[in-house]
Amino acid sequence: MKFGLFYEISVPRPWTRESERTVYNNALEQVKLADELGFDQVWAVEHHFLEEYSHCPAPEMFLTACAMVTKKIRVGHGIIVCVPEFNHPIKIAERTAVLDILSGGRLEVGTGRSATWNELGGFRVDPDITKKSWDEFVRCLPKMWTQETYSYQGEFWSMPERCIIPKVYQRPHPPMWVAVTSPGTELDAADRGLGSLGLTFGQFAEQERRIAEYRRRIQLCDPVGEFVNDSVSTVNFLYCHEDDDKARATGRRMADTFNYLASQLISAREAYPSRSYPSLGLLPQLRRQATGPDANEQAGEGLGLGNPERIIRAMKKWEAVGVDRVNFLLNAMEIIPQADVLASLRLFAKEVMPAFRDAKSGNGGAA
Amino acid sequence: MPLFGTLELSTAVTSLPVLRDLDTEPWSLPKAEILQMAFEVPRATHALLPKAVHPAIPSYVTLLVSRYPESPVGPFLLAQLRLMARAGAHPRGFILRAYASTPEAAAALRERWGMPAEAATVSLKRRHDRVMAQVLRDGVPVLDAALVDPQPISGGDVQYIHSVTLAQAPVDGKTGTWLVQVDPRYTFHKAERGRPTVSRLDGEAWGAPGLALQNPISSTVCTCDTDLPRIRFVMDPEVPVIRGTKKIRESREAE
Repeated sequence: MKFGLFYEISVPRPWTRESERTVYNNALEQVKLADELGFDQVWAVEHHFLEEYSHCPAPEMFLTACAMVTKKIRVGHGIIVCVPEFNHPIKIAERTAVLDILSGGRLEVGTGRSATWNELGGFRVDPDITKKSWDEFVRCLPKMWTQETYSYQGEFWSMPERCIIPKVYQRPHPPMWVAVTSPGTELDAADRGLGSLGLTFGQFAEQERRIAEYRRRIQLCDPVGEFVNDSVSTVNFLYCHEDDDKARATGRRMADTFNYLASQLISAREAYPSRSYPSLGLLPQLRRQATGPDANEQAGEGLGLGNPERIIRAMKKWEAVGVDRVNFLLNAMEIIPQADVLASLRLFAKEVMPAFRDAKSGNGGAA
Repeated sequence: MPLFGTLELSTAVTSLPVLRDLDTEPWSLPKAEILQMAFEVPRATHALLPKAVHPAIPSYVTLLVSRYPESPVGPFLLAQLRLMARAGAHPRGFILRAYASTPEAAAALRERWGMPAEAATVSLKRRHDRVMAQVLRDGVPVLDAALVDPQPISGGDVQYIHSVTLAQAPVDGKTGTWLVQVDPRYTFHKAERGRPTVSRLDGEAWGAPGLALQNPISSTVCTCDTDLPRIRFVMDPEVPVIRGTKKIRESREAE
């Protein structure tokens, strides 16, 4: 089991000249500490126009800064929106290569297609085509990274033969992932030999079923890259404190805040009925967790909220259902003071991580 | 915290519908045909939303024109303009104005569900390549709209958002101004999606003076069985719904 951080860069109103800078600086300080503490990876989303929820439209910039202040932690570009109006494939290949070089081969590449009308409408994207363009992009990227020259004629973009430079630092290329929110997307990941970058919270039984199907399916995949990434990652909240009640109460406030903000977004399906977005996806689930019958589940055993013993139990359960990596949201709207976030990271590293390090090395669990 | 509506209630209360009670019987509305169009609108529309709710961002409206061939007040058509919002975490459409094709329907919708409905001439016509809607108020067109080039989709892809209306309602023996939630169910028989076009929308007539439709989003026309259910929730329009919601009765599942 590996642990990482996951950033939306949530900035509360009122937006002052310094507020966004403060949130970014806090995040960088957290990443620097996480690197020192032995966290394995940091992911940053690409979102546009999502007021307060996510002020992170250029994750490659943030991740470059992360790479510059850290030594070992891997940097996850997660996810790159693989839709031509958002990102040209050549630019994706180029900037990921540069980030891989600058980070010394620490890049992980997440792919996806956006699921909000805020973003799709903002870029005037036809929601009907996003899955198709994503499929085209993920098949092109590994070749653009690895072939000496590249040319392409596709449905959504084309280019004459050129040498796309620089090349990625990792050989053959960075691990690739797919954002998995809607049920069934994990199968799209498996079919293409891509890692499953889960962006949903909780629900062990459902996750276990989906992970099992992913594992079964990926054995017969036709990989788009030069190797298969069969890892399963999920996101979670983290607030670790010796006082279990305080940790759960504080963490619950963070989770509720995040879910409430998420519920304000306009899902693609809400605005634009399309077979391309057949399920309700992440947003209604978070809405339900914010206010519905699942609200109490947020304080349940699946979340990284509590004292170290409680969090170890939760992470062991995730490990048991087949998750390889858990990436944590540390804050939302800066409701947890930075000093407390850093203390939570330190306590997690000291008390929780050893339980999993021991298990991995075969020396027996410490829990 | 997300933004809130900024409606000054004092500007709205004089003409609000008055519910006779919160115990209206449900209406069954089989084989309804519903044309829905969504357009983005300017943020200035936040001033039309009660302070209890968050505006949808980007701001958008839905125009609904429905034909109900069977109802307790006979067949009627209904046109509504809704400004989309969030009641806490839940998507809701705040009805700015509605027009019903019969005086009986308009009166019942006002008295039973608090819809700001007036009688007008409402039409919904299908041609080979479009479905056209028109509303005439006192013989003057206040809406001309069409879904162009309908293509079949699955009814399962269509998500109708529940409505809220601003009305005078008797709660705990005292009549006051409340947001009333109207949350129908839908069983789809047919669904099509097309391009929304509006050639005329008189904002003044729809409770939104100067409203400019901007970015067309989508349009659907569906045939479905639906209803107007008993009222389950009312909300204080001046207080965030998380604090100001009052449950009138248990969920429909419990009925």
